[in-house]
Amino acid sequence: MVDILHEIEAAVPALRRYARALTRDFDRADDLVQDCLERALAKRGLFRPKGPVRAWLFTILVNVHRNSLRGARRRGDMVDFADIAEPSVPAPQPGHMALAELDRAIGTLPHEQKEALLLVTLEGLPYAEAAAILDIPLGTLMSRLGRARAALKAMTGTPSEPHLRTVK
Amino acid sequence: MSEITRDTLMAYADGALSPAERAEVDAYMADRPDAAGEVALMQRQANGIRTLYGPISAEPVPPRLSVEKLLQTQQKRRGRAWMRLAAAVIFIGLGLGSGWLLRGQMDVPNIADRLIADAVSAHTVYVSENRHAVEVGGADSEHLSSWLSNRLQTSLAMPDLSASGLTFLGGRLLPAPEVPGGRAAQLMYEDASGARLTLYVTPSPGPDTPTYELANLGLDTALFWADAVISCTITAPYPADKLQEIARTVFTQLNPATPDYET
Repeated sequence: MVDILHEIEAAVPALRRYARALTRDFDRADDLVQDCLERALAKRGLFRPKGPVRAWLFTILVNVHRNSLRGARRRGDMVDFADIAEPSVPAPQPGHMALAELDRAIGTLPHEQKEALLLVTLEGLPYAEAAAILDIPLGTLMSRLGRARAALKAMTGTPSEPHLRTVK
Repeated sequence: MSEITRDTLMAYADGALSPAERAEVDAYMADRPDAAGEVALMQRQANGIRTLYGPISAEPVPPRLSVEKLLQTQQKRRGRAWMRLAAAVIFIGLGLGSGWLLRGQMDVPNIADRLIADAVSAHTVYVSENRHAVEVGGADSEHLSSWLSNRLQTSLAMPDLSASGLTFLGGRLLPAPEVPGGRAAQLMYEDASGARLTLYVTPSPGPDTPTYELANLGLDTALFWADAVISCTITAPYPADKLQEIARTVFTQLNPATPDYET
């Protein structure tokens, strides 16, 4: 019992990181993590999660986030001021990714692509584990990752191609 | 690996391939700069994402996300939930119990049952109070009588039950959503042994009300009686025959205008 609490505590920084990248909103991200922790703590007495505690927590976080999106969709989506496209940004230096631009591009990804991309790149999870957390087949995970990367490529431009901006 | 697809390149970039598969992709990319560029781009994207959001995990965790704190609030909440659950179980039990006890009288309009239930709830709550059992003490009987009469819009005398060994403690006004006017008066009496009896008096709930009902509720007995002007439920930890005897005294005094009570 005690070690599961330690394991939960140890996962909090990663949960915050993932939630913040998903929402790109400080308070909403911590709200999601708090929800996630409350559920985990309430459930921990009922069953011992199979597999690593961390993956179990990410599963809860993903579900809390999906639920919150369902609620938000009903109320009408909130658009972050920072997400509104700015007039042209100077082309990034060759070989260097313009981080602010990448951040904005990630914000525009459909959430199912975003949750997949961030689990694999930011959290460094193996494909199989990410697919299990998202409760999708491996093939679906890979196609979401592929589409997310293609979208980022189109939105951020690449050093090898002329810098094109897609206007949404 | 027979064919190298975009997915293979992506898996390579994400480090999801076995060493043997990696070697195969390395060989494939050696003479395909476009594939190598694709992989490099995917790696740059991943690096960019880690640079952007990676440092968040090094930030100090705010107190509201402290596991210890969340656990404490949850235990507190759970304690309250248990109490609510216990209360719900008791009330459901009371409800089922009174339903069972009143089962033989299911054909009567249930307004009487609801009034008896209200009376018994009020009885249970207030007889267990020591200092706040009543709102206005029995010493101020005249004031109580005019106050409750005004509130109930009917003339209400405070019955004297000293002949049955009961001292008048006082009374209080209670909400009674079941009846016109929405108010009830509760009068409380106590015998020498400390047992308490309450009268729950409301304006008459309507012409269809049954005039008499007796309910045995475990330790307590409740006796309901109604006429065109008022309804009254007597609740006390007495056997039915003793309660009926007291009821006779109550009804003649409570509302002198009503005809004699008959069992």
